[in-house]
Amino acid sequence: MTETINNIADVIGWEAIRTVVGLVGVLVVVVLNALILTWAERKVSGHIQRRIGPKEVGPFGLLQPIADTVKLLAKELLTPQNVERPLYYLAPVIIFIPVLVSFVVIPFDARLQVKDINVGILVILAFSSLSVLSILIAGWGSNNKYSLIGSVRSIAQNIAYEIPLLLSLLSVVLMTNSLSLRDIVEAQKGGGWYVFFQPVAFLVFFIAGVAETNRTPFDLPEAESELVAGFHTEYSGMRFALFFLAEYTNVFILCAMTTTFFLGGYHGPFLPGIIWFFAKTYLLVFVILWFRWTFPRVRFDQLLNFSWKLLIPVSFLNLIITGGLLKL
Amino acid sequence: MVTKIFEDIKKTLTGIDVSEASYGQRGYHLAVETPKGSLAGVAEFFERRSFYLADLCCVDYVDYLELVYFFNHHKTLCRVKVALKVEPEKPVAPTISHIYTMAHWYEREIHEFFGVYFEGHPNLTYLFLHDGIDHYPLRKQPTPVPEEDKKLLNSFRPEGEEDTFFVNLGPQHPSTHGVLRVVLKMDGEYILSAEPVLGYLHRMHEKMAENRSYVQFLPNPARIDYPGALLVNLVHVMTVEKLCGIEVPERAQYIRTITCELNRIASHLLWFGAFPADLGALTPFLYAFDDREHILDILEAITGSRLTYCYFRFGGLYNDIDDTFIEMTKRFVKRMRERFDIYERLVTGNVIFVNRAKDTGILEQGVVHKYGCSGPVIRSTGIPFDIRKTEPYAAYDKVDFEIPTGTLGDNMDRYNVRMTEMEMSLRIIEQAIAKLPSGPFKAEKVPKKLKPPKGDMYHAAESSRGEVGVYIVSDESDTPYRMRWRVPSFSNLMTFPALAQGTLIADAIATLGSYDIVVPEIDR
Repeated sequence: MTETINNIADVIGWEAIRTVVGLVGVLVVVVLNALILTWAERKVSGHIQRRIGPKEVGPFGLLQPIADTVKLLAKELLTPQNVERPLYYLAPVIIFIPVLVSFVVIPFDARLQVKDINVGILVILAFSSLSVLSILIAGWGSNNKYSLIGSVRSIAQNIAYEIPLLLSLLSVVLMTNSLSLRDIVEAQKGGGWYVFFQPVAFLVFFIAGVAETNRTPFDLPEAESELVAGFHTEYSGMRFALFFLAEYTNVFILCAMTTTFFLGGYHGPFLPGIIWFFAKTYLLVFVILWFRWTFPRVRFDQLLNFSWKLLIPVSFLNLIITGGLLKL
Repeated sequence: MVTKIFEDIKKTLTGIDVSEASYGQRGYHLAVETPKGSLAGVAEFFERRSFYLADLCCVDYVDYLELVYFFNHHKTLCRVKVALKVEPEKPVAPTISHIYTMAHWYEREIHEFFGVYFEGHPNLTYLFLHDGIDHYPLRKQPTPVPEEDKKLLNSFRPEGEEDTFFVNLGPQHPSTHGVLRVVLKMDGEYILSAEPVLGYLHRMHEKMAENRSYVQFLPNPARIDYPGALLVNLVHVMTVEKLCGIEVPERAQYIRTITCELNRIASHLLWFGAFPADLGALTPFLYAFDDREHILDILEAITGSRLTYCYFRFGGLYNDIDDTFIEMTKRFVKRMRERFDIYERLVTGNVIFVNRAKDTGILEQGVVHKYGCSGPVIRSTGIPFDIRKTEPYAAYDKVDFEIPTGTLGDNMDRYNVRMTEMEMSLRIIEQAIAKLPSGPFKAEKVPKKLKPPKGDMYHAAESSRGEVGVYIVSDESDTPYRMRWRVPSFSNLMTFPALAQGTLIADAIATLGSYDIVVPEIDR
């Protein structure tokens, strides 16, 4: 067995094997995470709303997501008339690529990372802003007015919130002098989490991140009371499920990034790093679910004002202060 | 007030016939008969004095059609009926839509049901009906619709505006609360103009009333306004009682008050759930329905149904209440008081909610009389207009309660007014239970077949959405000659185009949600 692997490695190189195994691992995490999150969302919303949530399929309704997946897979893939077919088919696929790439650089544990790229932050930010492209494609290709409004909103929102997201991260980068995610986590070893040094940056990053993932109170692209379902109004079956999968994965990535940058990543006493990592991440995921079931939605102009007039100046100020203090 | 208006009409308006009517028997203080030429003058006379157009309807007396305009004043009670006779062949009447904005819709309605043409009306197209009707439905003699009129559909995309961005909000849309359709002309996210298109739930209750006896019509009102079924049930019953001169025993009056207020809370709770949902918060909906369930249980115990109640009978009630009902109600009042604190924390104090609701959808006090809005919509502008106070019915004059008002007329004010109203309703229920007299719950010797004396009667009551009125014309038979329903959602919705213009689509949806419209009531 070992010999065979060695032989293959000689031909294509260790790096390639590592990437393939890593990507398979990433896919497993993505799918498992989506299953857990659909269950968690329904359970959390249930308890917040004084209901029980799913309980029929499996213990505590744990198998509900699987039943849902089977249902979605068995559904006929409807294509409405008058859609822009190539774009309409492409959008749910495209939304998935940036999501997968972002996973590559996240350090789940000290030795568990697909690839440590020395510009890891750039990779994540660059690819996460690609997802807006597929929302635009979906909105335009659907040939539906609600979808179009939703996708246009999404673009304005992403442009506005990418800036504070980046600015707040820059102060972290200033403190570590590195763009590599592993370096950032290692710099927080021993309880020196950046959330204590950079509380403002943490808040700005998390708020902007929630806006980037289109979650309540910033879920304007899919505001169901205004735009029916926003950019995915015309999608059903597995295509719709792909959008949802991507949304849940984006939520996970955001929380994983927040954990990595501000909450010390996999560092923590007693337990293995990977458990710490997932515990912190899912705690943040719970906060996002909590937002969703308690807050109303902000209005479009309020959303933009909040970013341009508050988050961006605050994160700029924070960056300047950080730079000044580091120089001293 | 009544005598002053009476003198004023005599002094300023010439050529019209004005007489004082018995308010107790007719439901209005003054009856005015005007020729066609003076109608605009009469309307202007009332508009100058801030009277609102409570209702505009038409009655077909075969020899002539009578257009009936009801005016009333928001601050001092003075109901005036203005009648205008038009010929049955090719009926033409002058419009008052340039004076009263609300007349736009009323006149369109009369045009499609009776075939009356209003000269000078800017857009005399169908309001409720589709284009396939052959005969005017409410005429007593079969009157065919002329061929050229059958095309009078509301055009969705006007010629020359092919490049304008139109959005059809509804009839299938999560935030139109039913099958209301609003055609929005948009510029990006901004609304240039909004036009409601009605009729998707039109069932012609007014025609149904003409074909069944008074008793047979009893279940119908619950289908007109389903969240506040008892409240509309009551106004129908009261109108017929007054028309026939039936005295209702004291105990029944109190029980009517209690059950109506319970129903009002249930209706407001439905709105309380739906309004934050329109703003994106889904959780309050579940909380509101949790509480509403308790009311439904209480009402189910005595009425037998959970939504479309038919509990009131001519002269009293279907059956008496018992100690269990009183016990359950008392427990509910106690529970509900505590729940308001939760609502306060969950919704009222939420920064995002306040930012969304404040300063949006502002309805100005100066223009409300042109629309004839009522209920919480008008109270939010600062006018304390509540029929429970101005024309007390049931036992409302024997209990002590206040009318909450707003100041600005925005969505937040409408929200606050309704929330305070629920607390007031609890207060009314408590007092009514404490004062509940014993005695019969049904008037004796109410004939099985009601044949009210000849004449007409307008009676209004305060439903959870505003003034709901019934105008009955009786010809001494056991079916009404004409029954007209004046519904609050209809006139409240009329303000929507003005409020939505120039706002963002999200604000327009918040405004629509704050009205608490019920589409079956609008379409009837």
